[in-house]
Amino acid sequence: MRDGIATARNGIPCIALVTEDFWPQGDFVAQSLGMSALPRVQLPHPVAGSGKANMQVIAEEITPKIIAAFAL
Amino acid sequence: MTDWLTASDEAAALELLHARQCTDGLPVVIPTDERVQRMVIQSSMEGDMRLGIMGPAGKVATVEKVAVAAVMAGCLPDYMPVVVAAVQAILKPEFDLTEMQATTHCTAPLLIVNGPARRDCGPVSSGFGALGPGHRANASIGRALRLAMINIGGGRAGTSDMALLGHPGKFTYCLAEDEESSPFEPLHVSRGFTEDDSVVTVIGAEAPHSVMYSGNADLPDNHTRLLDVLAIGLTNSATNNAVLGGGAATVVLNPDHAHILASAGLSRMKVCQELYQRCYFDKPAQGPLSTGSGKKQSAHRRWYCFDSAEQILVLMAGGSGLYSMVMPSWCAGSHKNSAISVQFESNPYCEVPVQS
Repeated sequence: MRDGIATARNGIPCIALVTEDFWPQGDFVAQSLGMSALPRVQLPHPVAGSGKANMQVIAEEITPKIIAAFAL
Repeated sequence: MTDWLTASDEAAALELLHARQCTDGLPVVIPTDERVQRMVIQSSMEGDMRLGIMGPAGKVATVEKVAVAAVMAGCLPDYMPVVVAAVQAILKPEFDLTEMQATTHCTAPLLIVNGPARRDCGPVSSGFGALGPGHRANASIGRALRLAMINIGGGRAGTSDMALLGHPGKFTYCLAEDEESSPFEPLHVSRGFTEDDSVVTVIGAEAPHSVMYSGNADLPDNHTRLLDVLAIGLTNSATNNAVLGGGAATVVLNPDHAHILASAGLSRMKVCQELYQRCYFDKPAQGPLSTGSGKKQSAHRRWYCFDSAEQILVLMAGGSGLYSMVMPSWCAGSHKNSAISVQFESNPYCEVPVQS
């Protein structure tokens, strides 16, 4: 979330990718830093270490969501 | 400024604080205005004095808010100067508090008190069981810092404090160095202060890991054997220090172990240097164990777990016996777990009103 907010503050359109387990922390950080409306796309948890095949599945699933979020 | 709550009595106030997630899960002393102001007076600062911004919530840490935490933790007013200094330490940018509060690692600030404050602001225990129960100053000073991190910094499990399991030192983690029994110069002197200075040093630390060594004065290499086992404990293959490297970590020598090293002619700094030289891994051995991120990416065949000997914090505390303690660390954040020392006035000569 911090990376996303820092990127957005530099004027670069940004979608934060946040896993399910860290979604509440995303809420907290976004509110603390005053950017609650930063667009986010939720990922399953965990992603790291879940293997290339699973990551490929996740990537294919979330890519349309990311594109859709940018179009909002 | 501080937001004040109202309740019909102290029992109701306690339940209100629990319900609002303002406690660490244990009962607290209710921070009434009178109790808080007594604590503020002992700080010798104004209550609205701003100590800094505390993350990850990004709220202003005033002396009064810190005093609220100190009252809730059960501190005596005498302890307040240490609590304020500890808050000042964790608010230094080099401490990376925001990242530390949010990490999934089990790190917690360890407070080490040196100088006259050990007596003036306590006593802060340094002997048998100093990190265990039964020592009021140790228990409440460390707890006050944690309550400040919860209520000012906003560190709450599962939403902003993402430690996967945490460790018991996240309730309180505070001790003094046993300067009188130590064969070495005090820790704070080795960090540039004088013996008469009161100093609190704060470092992110895992829970204490026991290192057993039964010394034998007849062995000519008694001290090197001890150094070897300390190094194994400090940077075993599963620690962040071994996998990520470059972050400061802590060694608490018991008096017997300290004297084994001192009898071999080693100073505190030389002990740190000897440990630094022993804390390394060869790529073929460690590489397969360090999947994902880590120093396996390094092109070097051998890597050292610390960037320098100064990253190893050695102090002396605890009872006499076989066991010293090591606290590996998190090794992350922009400054990779830096130790921060803050000097303070331990006896501010303020007359605190008697509690009515």
